[in-house]
Amino acid sequence: MTEARKTFLLGALGILAFLALWEVAGQGRWLGLSWPPLSAVLALLVDENRQPLFARALGATLSSLGTGYLIGGAGGIAAAALAHLATPLRPGLERTNAFIHAIPSVALAPLLILVVGREGTPATLAALNTFFILYVSTASGLAATPPALKDLVQVLGGGRWTRLRRLDLPMALPTIVSGMRLAAPSALIGVIIGEWFGAPRGVGVLVINAMQNFQIPLLWAAVLLAVLVSLSLFGLFGALHRGVVARLR
Amino acid sequence: MDTQPAIAVRGVTKRFRLDDGSEFTALDDISLSLAEGEFVTLLGPSGCGKSTILRLVAALEAPSAGTVLVEGKAPAELSRQHRLGVAFQDHALLPWLDVAANIALPFRVAGQKVDEARVAALIRLVGLAGFEKARPRQLSGGMRQRVAIARALVLKPDVLLLDEPFGALDAVTRRQMNIELQRIWTEQRTTTLLVTHDVGEALFLSDRIVVLSGRPGRVVRVVDVPFARPRDPAIMRSALFHEMSDDLTEALAPPAGAP
Ligand SMILES: Nc1ncnc2c1ncn2[C@@H]1O[C@H](COP(=O)(O)OP(=O)(O)O)[C@@H](O)[C@H]1O
Ligand SMILES: [Mg+2]
Repeated sequence: MTEARKTFLLGALGILAFLALWEVAGQGRWLGLSWPPLSAVLALLVDENRQPLFARALGATLSSLGTGYLIGGAGGIAAAALAHLATPLRPGLERTNAFIHAIPSVALAPLLILVVGREGTPATLAALNTFFILYVSTASGLAATPPALKDLVQVLGGGRWTRLRRLDLPMALPTIVSGMRLAAPSALIGVIIGEWFGAPRGVGVLVINAMQNFQIPLLWAAVLLAVLVSLSLFGLFGALHRGVVARLR
Repeated sequence: MDTQPAIAVRGVTKRFRLDDGSEFTALDDISLSLAEGEFVTLLGPSGCGKSTILRLVAALEAPSAGTVLVEGKAPAELSRQHRLGVAFQDHALLPWLDVAANIALPFRVAGQKVDEARVAALIRLVGLAGFEKARPRQLSGGMRQRVAIARALVLKPDVLLLDEPFGALDAVTRRQMNIELQRIWTEQRTTTLLVTHDVGEALFLSDRIVVLSGRPGRVVRVVDVPFARPRDPAIMRSALFHEMSDDLTEALAPPAGAP
């Protein structure tokens, strides 16, 4: 058996053990009513009457996530490319980025409600989280071009822009995609926090409502939904990363 | 007539500032010049500053004192006009491009339309027909260096700089590559500055050999190579070749009693 398969099997076993423990703990009420069995949560999640509710919440969350992720990601990559091309801008951009990152989402959310409104806050927080991660990963990817290859482009008479396009960007692509992967769960956290501060609908709204109304299985179903979104995105970008690495190295 | 040299290095000293703040003199008052269409080899022990001279001519470094001129102008002018070809010891191929695309890269960097026929001709010239779609990691060391040489030649440069292009090869492959380079060069007669520490390679390929000594790098000897072109590999077995080879090897060895 290969090392990779062993790791995969062990991982799968671990998850199965966790899920089984969840079910047993829920059935036995080990942690009281706040810990329902997995089967009850899953039953609720696939319950036909609840489908519209989940679909609407998921739709709103994914739409904020997609919007924020795309805008923040494109912005982060563009800002890092700009800092790479125009060296004098670099310290300023870096400081701005660090500053944005230093403000906790939870503290920023109420402020954003005032500025971009309840509907726009989840996407904005997702964009800010994504921007930071993609700025950092793009900047470090672009800086990692081997000197011998830079010399080559210079000797061939290529300027900064040509070097960025023909050399630095393709070279940085695996690092950028691994940043995209890390940014996905982080953007989702931004969306959910944004939704807590009064968005009309979304998985985060579902979580808050279920909690306030003590609908424990619904709360768990909503959390599970968020985890599923996060894991699928992580897996998707993982596959993309493997593809890019295979293509580029 | 007083013709302008293709490459002129005049009284060049190169000092590097080291991490501890001290200065290190890599080259001390080096002068050499290449006529157009001349093949000159820099021969010297490792660390004597051969690569530094090439980097000065390629405008990748600036001299601390003295001047470097290519066709009478600043060396950066040549690369800006996409008329410089280089193949360094580290072949510097782009891993995501196949052989044909790596060889076509100079066209793309120069913003010119890729001359597919020229790329195909060079692939044949360096003996890589059938490997057009191969990626660098699928090639042997010798094949990668051939790709680097084809890439250096693709724009028909006016000056060719080769820094130990066969350094990583075994003796047999290296000899083969020398024979191929000699054949390719004889067709184009591009002004070429080659760096090597292999005496046989220097003798077989060049019109003139500049022997350098190390720390700091200085020119100790200039040897004219008399063999007529095109050169048959058989000259490597001639008495004159052996005699010159022994002579150069001796010139390379540090004088007795030196520290
Ligand atoms: N960028 C640099 N900084 C400091 N020292 C350098 C640098 N480049 C080269 N040197 C030093 O200059 C000397 C000559 O180097 P190099 O030209 O690469 O020699 P060669 O190609 O003949 O082996 C060496 O001692 C090397 O360590
Ligand atoms: Mg060297």
